[in-house]
Amino acid sequence: MMQEPAEPLKKKQPRVGVFVCHCGINIAGVVKIPELLERVGIMPDVVVAKDYKYCCSDPGQQMIRDSINSDKLDRVVVACCSPTLHETTFRNACAEAGLNSYQCEIANIREQCAWVTEDKDKATDKATEIVRTTKAKVENDLPLDAITVPINKRALVVGAGIAGIQAALDIANAGYEVVLVEKEPSIGGHMAQLSETFPTLDCSQCILTPRTVETGRHPKIKLMTYSEVDAVSGYVGNFKVKIRQKARYVDFKTCTGCGVCLEKCPGRTEGRFERGLTKGKAIYRLLPQAVPNKPVIDAKSCIYLTKGKCGNCAKVCPTGAIHYDDTDKFVEEEVGAIVLATGYELFDAARLGSYGFGLVPDVVDGLAFERLLSASGPTSGEVKRPSDGKTPKKIVFVQCAGSRDSTNGMPYCSKICCMYTAKQAILYRHRVHDGQATICYIDVRTPGKGFEEFYKRATDDGIQYLRGKVSKIFRQGDKVMVWASDTLAGRKVELEADMVVLATAVVANPDGVALARKLKTQIDAHGFMTEAHPKLRPVETLTAGFFLAGCGQGPKDIPETVAQASAAAAKVLAMFGNTRLTHSPTTAQVDEEICVGCGYCERTCAYDAVKVDAARKKAVVNAALCEGCGACAVACPSGAMTHKNATKKAIFEMADTF
Amino acid sequence: MRRYTYYPGCTLYTKARSLDLCARKAAEKVGFELAEMPTWNCCGAIYNATSDDLAAQVGPVRNLAKASQLGDKLVTLCAACHNVLKRVQNRLDQPGNEVESERLKTFVDERYERSVRVMHYLEVLKQDIGFEAIKSKVVKPLAKLKVASYYGCLMVRPKEVLEFDDAENPQVMDDLMRALGAEPTRFDFKAECCGGYLVVNRRDVAKSASHRILDNAKAWGAEAIVTTCPLCQYNLDKLRVVTDGSLPVFYFTQLLGVAVGLGQDELGFEHNAGDPIEFLKTKGLL
Repeated sequence: MMQEPAEPLKKKQPRVGVFVCHCGINIAGVVKIPELLERVGIMPDVVVAKDYKYCCSDPGQQMIRDSINSDKLDRVVVACCSPTLHETTFRNACAEAGLNSYQCEIANIREQCAWVTEDKDKATDKATEIVRTTKAKVENDLPLDAITVPINKRALVVGAGIAGIQAALDIANAGYEVVLVEKEPSIGGHMAQLSETFPTLDCSQCILTPRTVETGRHPKIKLMTYSEVDAVSGYVGNFKVKIRQKARYVDFKTCTGCGVCLEKCPGRTEGRFERGLTKGKAIYRLLPQAVPNKPVIDAKSCIYLTKGKCGNCAKVCPTGAIHYDDTDKFVEEEVGAIVLATGYELFDAARLGSYGFGLVPDVVDGLAFERLLSASGPTSGEVKRPSDGKTPKKIVFVQCAGSRDSTNGMPYCSKICCMYTAKQAILYRHRVHDGQATICYIDVRTPGKGFEEFYKRATDDGIQYLRGKVSKIFRQGDKVMVWASDTLAGRKVELEADMVVLATAVVANPDGVALARKLKTQIDAHGFMTEAHPKLRPVETLTAGFFLAGCGQGPKDIPETVAQASAAAAKVLAMFGNTRLTHSPTTAQVDEEICVGCGYCERTCAYDAVKVDAARKKAVVNAALCEGCGACAVACPSGAMTHKNATKKAIFEMADTF
Repeated sequence: MRRYTYYPGCTLYTKARSLDLCARKAAEKVGFELAEMPTWNCCGAIYNATSDDLAAQVGPVRNLAKASQLGDKLVTLCAACHNVLKRVQNRLDQPGNEVESERLKTFVDERYERSVRVMHYLEVLKQDIGFEAIKSKVVKPLAKLKVASYYGCLMVRPKEVLEFDDAENPQVMDDLMRALGAEPTRFDFKAECCGGYLVVNRRDVAKSASHRILDNAKAWGAEAIVTTCPLCQYNLDKLRVVTDGSLPVFYFTQLLGVAVGLGQDELGFEHNAGDPIEFLKTKGLL
């Protein structure tokens, strides 16, 4: 619709329409609507004040559109629920009727009024004041146009565990390029360490390797292993990423992956992938099916690189691929969206001082036991205990080792341990038929498809479940003693075991936490990355263009991880479906006449959206990065920085209504 | 030389004389002085578990009030005294406890000047002196002596109040032993109960509790045990079936004394069972 021609007045009086929503009885049950309408109707500039049972419904929106036309409104206030819910709904409705959508404001009289009291008179008074204040704001609102920016339709995926792999494949299969960065020499993450997966008991390697192979060969995926994200600049749609490719000392172009070097290497490492069960070599690949299947040298344990002697690998390499003078390299990539799939680590069980982890060799964590069960593990899948290689005849599994423990560990439930402990006990009994498995638990939680049945299978298999916390684990002779309580029988128990497996808490990968801090994306108190909304925006972050997948966001099992990764990919693809991105125009702006370039704004900005141009000594706002929080406007000592549609004038006039 | 107000407690004047004597002399060697409070009374012996029993707190409060006139730190050695004084001090300072705190202070004649930080001797060594500095004062390293550090319950619990170390796997004494040149052994029963006062009426229970601790230390290859609690020392040392001199139970101050070069007559072995002198001689430490 055409804008109304300017009236021949010195200053055009605003024509405000106020629409009050009942929200069923949510608002109308507390706020006295007729009284509110009466009070609002006599406020200056208010041309019309109407109510409706549900303003967000089609007829409700139509009422607003009709009124804009018939009453010639140029400002709209909708008194309803929180703007996070329906601001967009009503702004779109206004835009359809020809009003600039930024001249529609929400007066929240539900969450901040009706829901917090049962006193009808007070609620009505407060609702009146909220509407009056919002009216003062809307009268100052200028018509604004949304900012649009181009999109670079390439994605970066950080972390190539099953979450990163899934997200990368989904995006790449839709035809977009993906840069997949992994800090380890090969992809697959923790899933490559697992033996079999609950509740179906399919082999983890067997279901993972088709994905890793596909990832490695995919023409749209640029795989960067043994690399880490160093820095990210730019904004949604247009990120610049600096990636550090760690020195491998092996030229991947000439290396054929024959593996001769691996046989001849005398250098030893602690064997991280095997969880310390066996020593690794200084030149290594994580597993025989590694993608890429080429080794790297661990500089700290390489005899040549530390002492200048040896050089065996270079001598035996048939293609001359070993280069001891290799250094870290930096690569810059440009992408439009970033999926953070940085994964988990296990809580350091040595911090549980009474559990003997790290002191008693036959006390291992869940991942180490996976390696003992795995056909590709150090014992080829035979269960042998670390201390003397004997087959353990009795194993005690300790659940919640560090989980649900706000004193010594983490307060949350790690979610996967009940199931993987049941699985490990079942697999142990498959391997050792006369073996006895006891599981000490607090609660058994089985909220997944087929989980309860799987737990039943474990109990039917003769696995003993003992309800109570374990207080102490120590070595006595060649036995491991476990002190626990049996809370069902009401007694203390002492168990004599050959081996103990701790279901250690899942914690956010420390490297992921460090990256999140560097990228200034939100993390919770435990280092897990925070989603934009716990229910409705579970894979987005508050930083536009960053998406989440996998255990970096919180503990989860494989199916849930894969589902979340696909969801993150879908969000990226939805973004790539646009030609340009729109961004809210309610950003900060600088009055260059006043600005002296002091830089308070730059230091205040959490989004790197304000920079001082050193040559001109003026602050410059990058509107595409600005989230419109207003912090810089508050920090500015001269008043040069203002927030569009939340100017000081507007805010003072809002305050003056009281 | 730094000077600390020192509260010895009754046992250190009787059965645990060596814990006290070595501590004073060794302190001078490593660079601080223990200035015993001119007057002091019973620490309260065990912390009263009844939360509203004010009378039981008066003794310790009186000690704290006296100490508050002498300085802002009060050093203890006996684990039981330390536990009681620390917990009562905590109760006085606890926000929300002001009324009770004022009542307690009015019970005693001495003016309560300020909040006193109750520090164990080990905390002074670790935080104020530093194990590196102590290392430089060692004249006779406890080379190759395998020592199990036994903390007992009173030093570490309740964790939030004592703020001493990890309650399950404390390290302070292990670190001290390492600084003195000894090899601290792994040990699973660092903070398990020695039987405590059950030695009085259920000697059998105390005996089995202390034996379990000794057996575990032996299994880890320990040649000696160090402790900071007179009652622990008594239970571990005196309830043994065979006092054959194996696995002597020392106060940590005795081994500290050996390392910093105190003479045999200053180490006070009269209350140690077996033949600790012979043991140290065979180890080349005396």
